[in-house]
Amino acid sequence: MGPVARILALLVLPALVACGIPRDPEVTLERVTGGTMRVGVTEADPFTILEGDEPTGGVEVLLVEEFADSIDSEIEWITGSEEELFAALEVRELDLVIGGLTSTNPWSAKVTFTHPYLTTFATVGVPEQEQQGEDIAGMEVAVEKGTDLAGLLGETDAEVALVDDIALADGAAAVENWLLDDLGLYDSDVRLKESDHVMAIQLGENDFLTTLERFLLHREDHIESLLDREGAL
Amino acid sequence: MTITSRFELPPDKQRIYDKVVKLEWLTIAYLVSAIFFIYLTLGSSQAMKAAWLEDLLSLTPPIAFLVASRFRDKQPNDEYPYGYHRSIAIAFLCASIALTLMGIFLMFDSALKLISFEHPSIGTVQPFGEPMWLGWLMIPALLWSAIPALILGRIKLPLAAELHDKVLHADAEMNKADWMTAGAALVGVIGIGIGWWWADAVAALIIAVDVLFDGVKNLRAVVADLMDQRPTAVDHSSIDPLRARVENEMKAMGWVADARARLREEGHVYFGEVLVVPSTQRDLLDNIETAQDHLHALDWKLHELVIMPVRDLEDDQLERAAHADLEEEGEAT
Repeated sequence: MGPVARILALLVLPALVACGIPRDPEVTLERVTGGTMRVGVTEADPFTILEGDEPTGGVEVLLVEEFADSIDSEIEWITGSEEELFAALEVRELDLVIGGLTSTNPWSAKVTFTHPYLTTFATVGVPEQEQQGEDIAGMEVAVEKGTDLAGLLGETDAEVALVDDIALADGAAAVENWLLDDLGLYDSDVRLKESDHVMAIQLGENDFLTTLERFLLHREDHIESLLDREGAL
Repeated sequence: MTITSRFELPPDKQRIYDKVVKLEWLTIAYLVSAIFFIYLTLGSSQAMKAAWLEDLLSLTPPIAFLVASRFRDKQPNDEYPYGYHRSIAIAFLCASIALTLMGIFLMFDSALKLISFEHPSIGTVQPFGEPMWLGWLMIPALLWSAIPALILGRIKLPLAAELHDKVLHADAEMNKADWMTAGAALVGVIGIGIGWWWADAVAALIIAVDVLFDGVKNLRAVVADLMDQRPTAVDHSSIDPLRARVENEMKAMGWVADARARLREEGHVYFGEVLVVPSTQRDLLDNIETAQDHLHALDWKLHELVIMPVRDLEDDQLERAAHADLEEEGEAT
């Protein structure tokens, strides 16, 4: 074979096999379509809300229910800690895991995370609109104790005021962006963190992965409104 | 004693060399673009990672060539009386070691992925608004890393022989072989697409073996050059007949009874010594000077030959025999 023929072979080969790609090595999508999808869920309000062993709401619970509907699949919910669920997902005993996961999760080598379907941020909310963009140095800012936000706020020049429940705090507060309107606060543009929200599936199930990703990526506005609703205090 | 001339190449070769310098800049610009596109579409494919590292490493020969092009013509001086011809060998030694180590690393890394049944995940991206499978984007990136490289390699290969440039030769060979790497990665990516999770790691393994092979081949070549191996063709496939020719030309001269020569490569050119047994000592200095001019005119690669008149070549042989005896004694005890 001459070089030209070789190059042509490289070009033609993909075209020949283009139909139905990518496929799942372990046929997840084929199995769950018209069958049962095993979904691991751990609590992470407002993404997953549990009552006992039953998920009752949350952005991701609702999205997964809609996704299951779209491929005519029954959901079997399995609750557990994040570690339990990931361990089960790694050995292919679950098909999907949700629970407020973000793209920086250290399990990324053992399981696959979807393309981020939503980006949220934590910010310092200020009570007056005129304070937007103002320096927060020396400003007293409330933050829930025992949270990563408390630590992140500690690294800024703000004066940290630890509270038990952020809903009861007065004045400026360090909060996730979906709480701003509920607390009547304005975004000061001081970013404490950004989170890319993802769901987790088994390694290498690329057909299932791309189908789920397409489903999520086509629903951006819907997801924002779900967050507004489910994230309400 | 005169200090060696700094210029290596005759004017016609210098014109080719200047062209090659431009080609090497072009190669670097092209490789950077190929590396960039593959990086964008890397995903979690091991084969893509291997192809990417291979492209990254194939930057080293053109860089070594261009760095050496600044040094090789530098004026010889008291500190470096043989000039800077060999600067390129040092750059190339480093590159070969990097290539070898990277090949070994990639082999283990890929084998580990294979035996631990790691299934590569490739999801969707939205470069043009609509979500599409990232695997589709890997294919043009790999083709871009294969086809221009193949063409560049084919252009450079004959130029390397003409300039007697071993680094350029290795560079051209690596470019030419790049289509195989990209082809293997392409098969790996398509394998992932049709659900053969192992195709990715197997493709990566093939690339790793290719990288390792390149590294070891270049390492052997550059070590041989640094060891003053007898001059060879740029691909090390054949012995350069120049040494025999020098001896024959000398022996054919009326005043020469016998002659022996040895040559070594310094970058593009050869240095060497010629031992001559003169049949007459009349006009010896004139004869030597004429012979030297004659030899240097034989081939541009004969950069500097020292002609040394000796009483006979037997001493040399006696010495060798003595060495052989010593070795035998050593083995006996």
